[in-house]
Amino acid sequence: MHHAHIDKFAYQDSAIHRLDSRVKFLVVLVFTAVVISLPRTSLSILACYAIGPFAILVWAGIPLKFVFKQILLVSPFVIVLALSCPLYDRTPVAVSFGPFSWQSSLGWLRCFVILGKFIVTMLALIGLVSTTRFSDLLAGLQKLGMPKLLTIQLGFLYRYIFVLIDRAHHILQARAGRKLRNLGFKTELRTAASMLGSLFIRSIDTAEHISIAMQARGFDGNWRTLSKLKVRRCDLFFALTAAVFMSGLYFFVKPILQ
Amino acid sequence: MSKAIEIENFTYRYPDGTPALSDISLSVEHGRKLALIGPNGAGKSTLLLAMAGFAKGTGKVLVDGLEVNSKNLKKIRTRLGCCLENPDDQLFMPTLFDDVAFGPLNMGLEPEQIKSRVAEALATVGLAKMADKAPHHLSAGQKRAAAIATILAMSPRIITLDEPDGSLDPRNRNNLMKLLKSLPQTLIIATCNMNFAASLADRAVLLDKGRIIADGEAQKIMSDADLMTEHGLELAQRKL
Repeated sequence: MHHAHIDKFAYQDSAIHRLDSRVKFLVVLVFTAVVISLPRTSLSILACYAIGPFAILVWAGIPLKFVFKQILLVSPFVIVLALSCPLYDRTPVAVSFGPFSWQSSLGWLRCFVILGKFIVTMLALIGLVSTTRFSDLLAGLQKLGMPKLLTIQLGFLYRYIFVLIDRAHHILQARAGRKLRNLGFKTELRTAASMLGSLFIRSIDTAEHISIAMQARGFDGNWRTLSKLKVRRCDLFFALTAAVFMSGLYFFVKPILQ
Repeated sequence: MSKAIEIENFTYRYPDGTPALSDISLSVEHGRKLALIGPNGAGKSTLLLAMAGFAKGTGKVLVDGLEVNSKNLKKIRTRLGCCLENPDDQLFMPTLFDDVAFGPLNMGLEPEQIKSRVAEALATVGLAKMADKAPHHLSAGQKRAAAIATILAMSPRIITLDEPDGSLDPRNRNNLMKLLKSLPQTLIIATCNMNFAASLADRAVLLDKGRIIADGEAQKIMSDADLMTEHGLELAQRKL
């Protein structure tokens, strides 16, 4: 079965793809912190910040349709949060954009800023996961000090989530193939519980087999990995460029636009 | 010289008390290709697990001259590679490279040695260009080959394979057959597929209800119509 992997485009080859995962992660982390810390009323500066991740996505050859689909997928929660702003903050403000100016409320302005920050940070995040293989990201996070146990668990989660989805899909197909009429809420609930139970038992079974496979290959409780990560000149250049871009906007462009 | 496998009067019961293997005695010389045949639930997989020290019962199990016990387990697992039935259970790391390197890393080899072993193992199974792929991106045939590569990278003298032909199409089955035939190691293959067993093994052991029913030349056992039918098996149609 084919799945929509979050790192679907991470196996492509570009200068961005070849960058060290640790450098990319740290840049995205700092970028996100900077964008979040921007004033709650500055939309134009947000637009300037969007240029960075947008350029990286284009340079790395990530289809923008895929990027916007991913943003839409996780947007409902933020949309609800943003749309609640105009309801509780109706302070009138004058808004100007180039030669145009109009009256609005502070709530609406905040609503757009929240959406803007969400989109810009998501662009950066999608840029990271679309240009970095999940395994490299995990190796990078481990090198940056993330607890080994957590990276192992994330690795297993990423490896087996698709196996679990496949199994759930097969169980649902088996049910659909024999479900010829509506059985009522109680029966449906009982069936769903049995299906979940079956999935749970099979997961335990799989875990036991994985444990056997690991022990059969000499696993003694110590997780050993062969690190292939290396920070090169181009990584440092990328980090420097990102730092100049972020600080330039923050210290020079922001005061002009505000 | 010690034998690859020596089992004397081995009996094993599942944790709920159900007998799985009863009084099994078996010896396998180095370099042989042995097929463990039998119907579902005969105890084939359990016997393979007992060889790798995962099913502890009464009696004696020796692998390459070493008795299977907690003291020898680490040595045994470098000499006997155990390939499970479902490749998804065998391939648990984020990339194929990491998966194949997992065993050599646990053996304490140097990074350069590990890299060369991984490259060699992947080349042997025809997946040299797939090292950076995630296991869930591989096809069923590739997963099966990758699972064998994880074992080959540890350079074991003995390899056990549980239903290696399961869910493979004829082309992938033939590829797997060629690969297994080319391996110099002692192979112990548990299978219900008589054509697969007949074309690969020189010796066959028929198990049913946890007991050894027949042990001898593969072609002879698998062409005995009465024996095969009595134990819910079919005759080998052809030697591939």
